Amino acid sequence: MTTLTAFQAWLADCSAVIEQQAEHLTELDRAIGDGDHGTNMARGFRRCAELAEEEQFASIDAYLKKVGMTLVGTVGGASGPLYGTFFLRLAGPLSAAPDVDARPLAQALRAGVDGIVARGRAEVGDKTMYDAFAPALEAFESALAAGSGTAECLRAAAEAAARGRDGTEPLVARKGRASYLGERSAGHVDPGASSAVLILEAAARTLG
Amino acid sequence: MISLVVVSHSRSLARAVVALARGTLGADGPHLEVAAGLDEETLGTDATAVAEAVVRADAASQGDGVLVLLDLGSAVLSAEMALELVDPQVAARVVLSSAPLVEGVVAASASAAAGADLQTCAREAEVAQRAKVEHLGHPAGADRQTPPAGVAVHPRQGPRSGTVGQPGTSPLLDPAGPPVRTVELPVLAEHGLHARPAARLVARAGEVAPDTTVLVHNRTSGRGPVDALSLSGVATLDARQGHVLVAQAQGPRAEEVLAALVELAAEGFGDLPPAEPLAEDPPVLSVAAEPGIPVTGSGLEAAVGPVVRLDVLPDPRAVPAEGAERERDRLRGAVDAAVARLEELAHRALDAVGRGEAEVFTAQATLLRDPEIAASATARVDAGSSAAAAWSEVVDEAAARFEELDDPYQRERALDVRSVGERVLRELLGLAEPEVAGEGVLVVDELDPGLALALDAARVRGVITRRGGSTGHGVLIASARGIPVLTGLGERADVADGTVVAFDQRTGRLDVDPAPEVRAEFEELVARRRAERERALRDAHVPALTRDHVRVRVKANVASLAVARAGACHGADGAGLVRTEAVFARWRQAPTVEQQVEVYAALADVFDPHDVTIRTWDAGADKPLAFLPAEEGPNPFLGARGLRAFAADPALLLDQLEAVCRVALDHPLRLLFPMVSTADDVHVARSLLDRAARRAGLPGPPSGLRVGIMVEVPAAALRIGTLAQELDFVSVGSNDLAQYVLAAERGNPALAPWSDPLEPAVLQLVRHVADHVPAGVGVSLCGAVASDPDLTGLLVGLGVDELSATASAVPMVKRALRAGSTGQYRELADRALAARGAQEVRELLGLAAPEDGPRRKSAALSARRAAGTAR
Repeated sequence: MTTLTAFQAWLADCSAVIEQQAEHLTELDRAIGDGDHGTNMARGFRRCAELAEEEQFASIDAYLKKVGMTLVGTVGGASGPLYGTFFLRLAGPLSAAPDVDARPLAQALRAGVDGIVARGRAEVGDKTMYDAFAPALEAFESALAAGSGTAECLRAAAEAAARGRDGTEPLVARKGRASYLGERSAGHVDPGASSAVLILEAAARTLG
Repeated sequence: MISLVVVSHSRSLARAVVALARGTLGADGPHLEVAAGLDEETLGTDATAVAEAVVRADAASQGDGVLVLLDLGSAVLSAEMALELVDPQVAARVVLSSAPLVEGVVAASASAAAGADLQTCAREAEVAQRAKVEHLGHPAGADRQTPPAGVAVHPRQGPRSGTVGQPGTSPLLDPAGPPVRTVELPVLAEHGLHARPAARLVARAGEVAPDTTVLVHNRTSGRGPVDALSLSGVATLDARQGHVLVAQAQGPRAEEVLAALVELAAEGFGDLPPAEPLAEDPPVLSVAAEPGIPVTGSGLEAAVGPVVRLDVLPDPRAVPAEGAERERDRLRGAVDAAVARLEELAHRALDAVGRGEAEVFTAQATLLRDPEIAASATARVDAGSSAAAAWSEVVDEAAARFEELDDPYQRERALDVRSVGERVLRELLGLAEPEVAGEGVLVVDELDPGLALALDAARVRGVITRRGGSTGHGVLIASARGIPVLTGLGERADVADGTVVAFDQRTGRLDVDPAPEVRAEFEELVARRRAERERALRDAHVPALTRDHVRVRVKANVASLAVARAGACHGADGAGLVRTEAVFARWRQAPTVEQQVEVYAALADVFDPHDVTIRTWDAGADKPLAFLPAEEGPNPFLGARGLRAFAADPALLLDQLEAVCRVALDHPLRLLFPMVSTADDVHVARSLLDRAARRAGLPGPPSGLRVGIMVEVPAAALRIGTLAQELDFVSVGSNDLAQYVLAAERGNPALAPWSDPLEPAVLQLVRHVADHVPAGVGVSLCGAVASDPDLTGLLVGLGVDELSATASAVPMVKRALRAGSTGQYRELADRALAARGAQEVRELLGLAAPEDGPRRKSAALSARRAAGTAR
């Protein structure tokens, strides 16, 4: 069973790995965007990681909502409202539960991904973070249907996300700043899909 | 006032934009909030900061609403998210704009400062980049606009009411649909977008793109938007000359339909002639003066007979409903039948009267095809009304909306609505065309065009109306058919059926149940007019000589080529006054020298071998020309009119003079300068003529061109001996001369006692001019009195040796001339000059005092019909 502490560990892991990969993310973004993804993400997740030390949270959902709002207010780029929405929606199905297992987590993940779609109006193949989240959600739900536990489901999701991320390389961007580049955006992995993979991999490490 | 929120990645950018807007507007601008950057340096947007800014802006706007302008990318996502974070009631008052940030903020601030509401500010922001697009000449594709409705996340929209074209109803474009295109449609024609041009707009939109949504609003008056396929909607935009309409289209043929509308707008929605002269006759308002029209009425402007009325319709509200489906079918059938009948009438009017009148019926048919009227009526049928009751209610409401409009010309269009309404009702009730019971004088509430055309002129000797202005299409059609009409009599028209009435359209006199001797007098008047008219027409082409064999030329006043032809047909000895400003009144751009040469030569050909008098542009703030804008001074009649209007910039006048010089080389032309007051004016006019002649490649003005001035300013009349020294002729403009001598506006009925042109002071000045012109200088007179055969002798007696009259009056004026000798006329004039006042002059001439009101109205109507725009 996954507890509040595990979720807090997830964000700490996210912050660490994004900090570590910030330069890489920025590199990817520089190729097809405005080159601030790594910096923005690192700044936002660092604030999120600090939350647990500063504040007592009564529940998982309260914590995730705070994470969402923190990202909205600190990331700055389009990832702010997108990841902010993801965490805010993630909180919904987990309301007031002291701990969760795979089933509510699947519901939460679906709500979060739906939030990203609603906010960004992206579709699969638009070369966005959704190209990582969509197969991840599908893999999580398949694993759950096959009777897997939280850890296994999350691992499946993270692996599917990584494949989705790699699949963005040949795509032409249709959303966000990268879309201004048109054909020239092809040949680069999408930075949003890359950070999504980092977050899901951190989840597999901490929530399982 | 609404508030604005500027959302940007950069705080300094947002602040700079705000400073720019404030710099433009000063302290009058709206409350502006900034939500930009993560801090002073860090680029980014923060949905929570946007939400806070929105809440502050909303509080400052006191409920008027908040417009959010954004830069790019995450700004949009953050702003959308912000609206989810704030109270839904606040969010409902917020519109997110897709306008470019800088243009959008400045334009929306300016609109807000001007008091515009949220939707209007949003619209202004959206179109703000157009100036730049147009300036740089980018193609229409660059002008792709998203409508405000499409960008509004929470647009404030009232529910679409079921009423027809109510200003303010906002049928929405589909925000998720294809791109919306926008164009501006300037309203150029004199009467604005009245029924016929509105019908053309609706027809064109429907014809080009029935599958495309087109909305039109009047940017100038703020009315609309309305559905371009709804005539009742479009007509209530109250679009007048000078207004700008904005059309938005969304759908498969958006671009085509807008292109078609732009083209139509350039033609004044069909009310302006194409830019080529003579491709078609200039529009003539005097249909009656057109040759070749079958005149079926008496044409005598007087009638005697018993009052007859039309059959009365039963109350449609009393008709029981027989089930919604049946009533719907009935309604559809009746509307189809009425449309078919109107199309038939349009053909008939085209043959019998003219294109302008034919279009009245085409417009009425279009009105019937109005989907909104049909929808409103159907809704009532579905709610249980009979088709007849539903239809009559919808028509009453639509007519009432026209009657609320500010423009009197458009208000009269309520009659069109009532007219088509009744036509459908008659179909529904199984009644034929209105029947006139018996022979006599028809009394109606208003004279509708369909009735005016359908009237059996053999049975209807004349028409009296209770209501309705003199510009009604019905009145014009009846006049064109020679049916005497007396309009706007109010309660005086409430006469029992069968009562004998007698009326004279010329004097406005109406006698109800006249004594036998009065009746006999009227019948004699009618008989006399008929005989006189027949004789006059027979002799129209014979030169008019007084009994002592002095020839007095009677020429025609000309305002168009068609009027010129009518004048020639009526035996005019040339054109005594071509009002060039009227001939070109509907041109938006000044005609070129070549175009004028063509027109003046054509006019000269019409009157060949007689001469044609071209008066130079006589425009001023009291009668402005589209291509010669005049500055509105405090007293336009005493302002820069006529010749004076060219003191600063004579370019347009030089063009005209050059054209006159060129035509005068091989045509008998005279040239007339208006509004001349001093000898210096004459000198200036002469020098300009010399310059124009040199421009035409001539050593000087052609020898055959005779040059004259209008005598309308008292100063010119008093000093005529000096002014006319180098001239060939002078022409007394009696209307303006009387007005300036008497200091009374002649169009104002309240000033009637002071504006009588027969006042001896006026006559004395005319005599003075005739007595003091240098030898050999001709004295002509043009003005309303020249068209009145009762005054012909008097004018000749004052010393006038040429008259210029309304084309149709020429035969009667010639006839009057033949009645006496110059000695008799001189004696008559001497007695008139000795009279105490105008009344005594009238008595001397055996004339009754003009009754106020109707006579003036009918005189004004004939003047307008004959002369177009002339005052």
